[in-house]
Parts: sequence; C-alpha cells; structure tokens
Amino acid sequence: MDMNLFIDKLLEAAREAGLTSAEVYCAEGSSFRARAMEGEIKDYQVSSSSGLNLRGVWEGRMGYASTQAYDEAAIAQLIEGVKESASLTEAEEQDEIFAGEKEYPVLEKKESDIASVSAQEKLDACLAIEKAALEADSRVWKVQGASVSTMSSKTILRNSYGLNLTSEGSLCLAYASAIAKDGESAGTGMGLGCFGRFDALDPQKIGREAAQEAVSHLNGSSVPAGEYRVIFRNDAMCDLLGTFEGIFSAENAQQKLSLLAGREGEKIAAEAVTLMDDPLLPGGLATSAFDAEGSASRTKAVIDKGVLTTLLHSRKTARKQGVSTTGNASRAGYTSPVRVAPTNFFFQPGEKDLQQLISDMGEGLVITDLAGLHAGANPTSGDFSLLSKGYLVKDGKVCGAVEQITVAGNFYQVLKNIRAVGSDLLFPGSSTGSPSVDAGVLNVAGK
Amino acid sequence: MLDQNIAREVLACAVSTGGDFAEIFMEDRIDHSILMRSGRIETVNTGRLHGAGVRVFSGTNAVYVHTNDTSREGLMNCARQAASAVRGGKGCILTPFKAFDAARPEEILLLPTDVKAALKVEKVRAADAAARRVSSEIVQVNVNYLDHVQDVLIANTEGVFVTDRRVRTRLSASAVASSGTENQTGSDNPGASMGFEIFDSRVDPEKVGETAAHQAVTMLHAPVCPAGVMPVVIDNGFGGVIFHEACGHSLEATSVAFGLSEFSGRLGQQVASKCVTAIDEGVTPNEWGSLHVDDEGTPTTHLTLIKDGVLMNYMIDKLGGRRMNMAPTGSGRRQSYAFAPTSRMRNTFIAPGHDDEAEMIATMGDGLYAKKMGGGSVNPATGEFNFAVNEGYLVKDGKIAHPVRGASLIGKGSQVLMKIDRVGRDLQQAQGMCGSMSGSVPTNVGQPMIRVQDMTVGGR
Repeated sequence: MDMNLFIDKLLEAAREAGLTSAEVYCAEGSSFRARAMEGEIKDYQVSSSSGLNLRGVWEGRMGYASTQAYDEAAIAQLIEGVKESASLTEAEEQDEIFAGEKEYPVLEKKESDIASVSAQEKLDACLAIEKAALEADSRVWKVQGASVSTMSSKTILRNSYGLNLTSEGSLCLAYASAIAKDGESAGTGMGLGCFGRFDALDPQKIGREAAQEAVSHLNGSSVPAGEYRVIFRNDAMCDLLGTFEGIFSAENAQQKLSLLAGREGEKIAAEAVTLMDDPLLPGGLATSAFDAEGSASRTKAVIDKGVLTTLLHSRKTARKQGVSTTGNASRAGYTSPVRVAPTNFFFQPGEKDLQQLISDMGEGLVITDLAGLHAGANPTSGDFSLLSKGYLVKDGKVCGAVEQITVAGNFYQVLKNIRAVGSDLLFPGSSTGSPSVDAGVLNVAGK
Repeated sequence: MLDQNIAREVLACAVSTGGDFAEIFMEDRIDHSILMRSGRIETVNTGRLHGAGVRVFSGTNAVYVHTNDTSREGLMNCARQAASAVRGGKGCILTPFKAFDAARPEEILLLPTDVKAALKVEKVRAADAAARRVSSEIVQVNVNYLDHVQDVLIANTEGVFVTDRRVRTRLSASAVASSGTENQTGSDNPGASMGFEIFDSRVDPEKVGETAAHQAVTMLHAPVCPAGVMPVVIDNGFGGVIFHEACGHSLEATSVAFGLSEFSGRLGQQVASKCVTAIDEGVTPNEWGSLHVDDEGTPTTHLTLIKDGVLMNYMIDKLGGRRMNMAPTGSGRRQSYAFAPTSRMRNTFIAPGHDDEAEMIATMGDGLYAKKMGGGSVNPATGEFNFAVNEGYLVKDGKIAHPVRGASLIGKGSQVLMKIDRVGRDLQQAQGMCGSMSGSVPTNVGQPMIRVQDMTVGGR
C-alpha cells in the first residue's frame, strides 16, 4: 500500500475508533553499503525499510504502537495497541498532539548526486580506499574494512489536525580501519569521511588517514599512574560529549538524572566554552525544519561563554517547567516514544589549532581514542574512567604513542576545567561535533 | 510464513548470475515494552517488526539485500538486486527442501502475546516499590519490562527450510541514589528465553529492584577507586563479561577469518592459564542466549572454546566457515532481518574450577574485589579490552575493607587469560545485550569467582 494512502486510512480509522487526536510518525530509508578487503568486495548490502508509529490520545491519555506491516490487520493492531497503551499509562504531565506552527524555517535545498551514483562507482571507491591505506606506509599490515555507504532517509509527520510535514536527507559515509604492525607491536587507526555528495568523497585521503593513524599508534607504551594535563583530540572529545549529552536534557533534569536541574543562568563551565544546538546547520546530520512533535526548529547556545542558558526541551518538559519548547523533541527510532535530544550539537570552535594547543600545554597527553564509553562512563553521575590511547607530549611536542592507560574524571568537572577550545571542529559521521579541547588535569592509570 | 514454491523461485533467481549459495531470512516479531519512571507508568509500547533479507555468496564474498516488502514481488526484487551484484561465480543447484520446525513450543508456558499488559505492569510496580523501600537516598527508579515473540523462517539452497520461534522476557531496574550534589547508579537486569512464567520460577521483581537500589546506595557512600596495578578478584555471574570481552569476541570468525585476531592460527596452543576452561553454547533450554537453530538455520551447539588453557574451537558462521575452511558451529546471529548474520556468542562462560572462594580473597594481599561488573568493549586486532566495575571493594591484606566507585579494568586478552590463577566452583550466568557487526543480540556471560594475578585498575 502507498504510504500516504495507508496513513490516510489509519488516521481515519483512529478517528472512527474514538481517539481524540492522533499522530503518525513514519521513517523511510534506503541504504547501500559495501566493504572491501584484500582487493575484493567482501560484503555488499542493500536495504529499503520503513516503519511507522501511531500515537494518539484515548480517554485523556497518550498511547503508542508501531508497525512495519502495512495492511488492514496492521491498522486494527495499531489502534488496539494505542488504546491498551493509553489505558495503562499514568504519566503526570500528559502529552498532547501538537496542531502545528504557522511557519517553519526554510532550509536551503542542496542538490545531491547520491541517488544517481552507480553501485560500481561506490565499489571502486571502496577498493581505492583500501589500496590507498595499504600503499600509504609499508607498516600497514591489513585494512579490516574499507567501506562506502550511502543512505537516504525520509521522515513524515502527519496528524489528525491536518499537519503534514516531510523531511528528507541523504549522505555518503566512507571509512577505513587499518592495522599497522611493527615487530610485536600492533596499532589500529581509522579514516572517516561523511559527505552530502558522493563526488566530495576522496578515497585517497580516507585511506591515508587510516594508515597514518594506525602507524602513529605503533610501539605505544603505558605511562606511570598520576595526574596529567590532557587534550582530547576533536574525535575523542566528540565521543565524550556524545556520551554525556543527556545531562542537558530537561527531561533527564526533571527525572533527577542530571545534576544541571534548576541551574539555568549559572556558570557551569569555563569561559572558553560555548555549546551550540543548531538544527538549521547546513549539511548537519540532524538538520530539520521541525522536531518530532512538529515544533519549529531553532538554534540556541545551551552554554554561552560558560553560562547555562537553557536545557533542551520538548513541549511536554517545557510545559512542566513553564517555559517554551526549544524544539528538541526527538525519537531515537520510529518505535521510540518522544523524548528530548540535541540536534546538531557542538562546542563552538576557538582560535587555536591542535598544534598550538599542544605547544601551549607543554607537557601532558593527547587522547585520540576512548573505548568502552557505554560501560566506563556514567551519564548520571558524570564519572568516567576510560581505556584510552593517544600520544605523550613533552616540550610542546608529540613524542610517542601511549596505550593501556585509563583516563578518569567527571564530565561536570571537565566542563569547568577546560582551558582552551581548539579551532578544528569535526563532526565524525555524527550530529555531535567538537574541536580538540584542552581539558586541564585528569587522573591517569597506567603502569 | 512463506510458501515453499515462492522460496524456491526466489533462491533460484538469487543464484541465477553465478552465486553458489543463497538464503532467505524472514522475520515477524512482536515487541512489548513498559517503562516506569518516577513511580509512574510512562510508556507502554507494542511494535511489530516485519521484513526479510536475501543473501547470496560467491566464494567468500557475500551480498545481502533486505526489505519490509515480503510479498513474492518484494522478495524477487531483493533476489534480483542481490544477483546483479554477483558476477561470474560457479553457480549452484538447489537441494530439495527438508522442511522442519525447530521450535519446541512446550518450553514456553505463558506466551507474552497472550498475557494482558496489566499483569506485566504489576511486575514493574513491584520492582519499583521494592527499590524505593531500600533507602531515602534513592531519588529515582526506572523499571523497564521487555518481551518479544520472534518468528523466523530460514530457507537456503542447501535444502534448509526451517521455522523457529524465539520468546524472551526481561525485567530491568536501575536506581539513582543522590546526596544532592552527587549521583550514583545501580542496576539489575535478569532475563531468559521464557514467557511470563519467568516470574514464577526465575525472576523475583522485588529482588531486582532491591539489588539495583542497594548497589546505588553502596556506591554513593564509596570513595573513588585508587588507580594502579593490583590483583583483582572478579565475582561470578556478570563478572563473566571479562571473558566475553577479553577473549570471546576475538574467537569469533569475524575476527579470526582474516587473521585479524590475536587468537588467529592458535588452535591447539596454550592461550590461557591451565585452570581455565571456557564454553560457548546455545542449547540449554530457556537460557537468554539459547536458540534452537541459529539465524542461518544451523542447529546450535555446545562448543568448548578453551580446555585446560588450550584453544580448542572458534565460533563460526557460514561465511566465516568458508573463509576459514571450517564447519559452521551454529553461531550465525543477527539482531533482525535488517542485518546480515555473522559469528556471535550465545551463552559464554568460564567453566567451574576447584578453588575456594574465601581463600582466593584471603591470599590476595592488597587489591580489588569486583563484585558486580558493568559492560565493556574490545579491539580484537590488538586484544585491548576495557570494562567498568559497577560495584567494587578495596581489599587490604586479604580482607574486604570498603566499597570503591568509578573503577575500570583494562588489559590485553591474551595476557589476562594467562594471569588467571584461581577459578572457583560456583558458576553463575547473567544476561546482557552484545553489540557487533550484525547488531545487538541477547547473550549470557558467566563464570565462577576468578582471580587475576595483576591487572591495571583505572580510577582516580
């Protein structure tokens, strides 16, 4: 069944079944992924999928149900599911279906070649990435995966008030993971690129980056335990910010899961820190004119020169606190309920590049990899203790690889202790971005 | 789920350009979830996952195409797309189907789809209330109830035509204890391949809530763990995550096949201390990681990975088997039809040994007793692993001194296995979700209490 036709029928059936209001959130996507190894295409995947969620108000309460089957049986199952869900829900603040705004921001339309590029061109790019990585340095032993993916996605938000919004996007993601060997020592490194157009992909650059990164981690050793000045390189800082981004959610604050509850207007970070949430960022992975509740997107500094200006809100959390939504209602997937999440979320870059941050630091560590973030970091307490890799810095210069250490601290403290934010803003294939950051002194466990 | 004639037609089309193996995986799954926060039922969600994928091999290369459209035309479309990506293989002849039903329905007493949501809500409430009773310092409790009924059909050109039903139920509680300026968390997440009868025999919701709350309160009053290299005793149950990360992932064909794992080419060699025997199995009824057949239609097995320290077996899926020239071990798994399967763990544990648990601690000197582990990760290429200690205690002179928080353990798999010097007698398993190339799949981890002579402990 055609999707819009199915949604017409579903909304009509919801009305007939007595739902006061109803909303359909539908995510459609198609993707292509290929991976080269040892000069051959080892894996090749093509997908097209969609999923749909119905939420609706039944006897004053909100219920949810979702499906990937689009037949008459699915319509009945969705409406039954919503009613059962609503009848058991007892949230204090009731959700509502939002009729919609008068106006939405107009996003710049970008022409993309992603839909038209042939499979063969993408396979050739995979092979070229692997070749570039292997040829970049004689110590590169293997490339575990040189892959190119393209993805197109479409989100439809429609409701019983007649709101009908669509957001579309496509992107190309290329990556290589290289293993370098030198005697007994092994080092791994990744090269990554994320583009709005396929012709922006430079296989040579990605292969070379993976190779250089892998080689740079060879012959690493641990360091004695103690306190070290630490710079998180942009990609590592992105991982750290992504892990703790939940502390900026008003929903988490209201649930006592964030220590930022009620601290709007206070200085919570160093002067150098400005943290942006920008859903209108051209080319951003989370760029959209509307959020998951149909509120218009808006750009804001969550932290402005160290001061917490606002938490991120949906209509529900904003109502509870007597403020306006910030347009951060979000669904993790079509099956997920509406929650609060950042959009394109990043530290505003500063003046100095990584090299200058390193020479300013003089002595310390540059951390390039953080492992086990889902386990070694606690988004509720802010504590982290993470297996890390990077480089030792002496006299303002990088002098050798460091591995088998943990870097431990507390994210709330890190925000306060940041000494400088670099100029090298990076979004490593995600909507969370960061430049390199001089995080001050942290605890390191090693040998 | 699928007519055999259509299956044959789709498979024939999939190998029409020279593919030497083709497979259809079809899935229809109903998920039910209940989330309780702040003492209120916040969401009750049902979802239906529906789709299929067609996979074609040519030698050691693979193509996978998937869709939600499981009509004949939708499947043929997948087959045609997959076939178009294969060029010049040796082709294959379809073996007639030997249809069988892998499911043993008698193992599920109360199918979750037949149980009213209101009854599930009662279990959630019981866990929540029990957690809140533990201490006034508990400021937040989240309880999550999850169940699913997954029906799958796997058909391939080797004559497999099998259906299976997987039923799982899980209750998770997490609690936050707060002093106002500091938060600490605790959690407990038992589950099984069972229906609602899980609450009659295996899972007591009140105990789940209490365990989570006690852990949060204990950690709130714990100083931070000192960093350093020290002996570590890891308790049974979820402590088995150490083997899962330090060794399990590196024994999967995904890592081994291309020589990428530190355990590649080491069958028959001593890779662990003599007191270590490790198992991966998918056959124990009702266990969280058990399957009747894997997601490639291969019956699951009981596999000895390491016997008395010697590497015996790898975990192998079909494609990995081709790449390694070895037989599949019933280890091909995937989160859903949206993922191509690959080699994964099932129920993975260190087998019981002969050592006395009390002696282990009494003779360790100064070190760390990791009572409850959190999750972790590993880089199989280098063997570097890490994991979090959710509940740890400092040991001084062989006596447990006080709790410590914020500890993590790091190391290299091959090294830590050689440094295990004690393996206790009381094996316990615990449930986890394991993420890898083919998505997130339910796995058991497990072990008796073990001791590692020295490990790097991260803390502050």
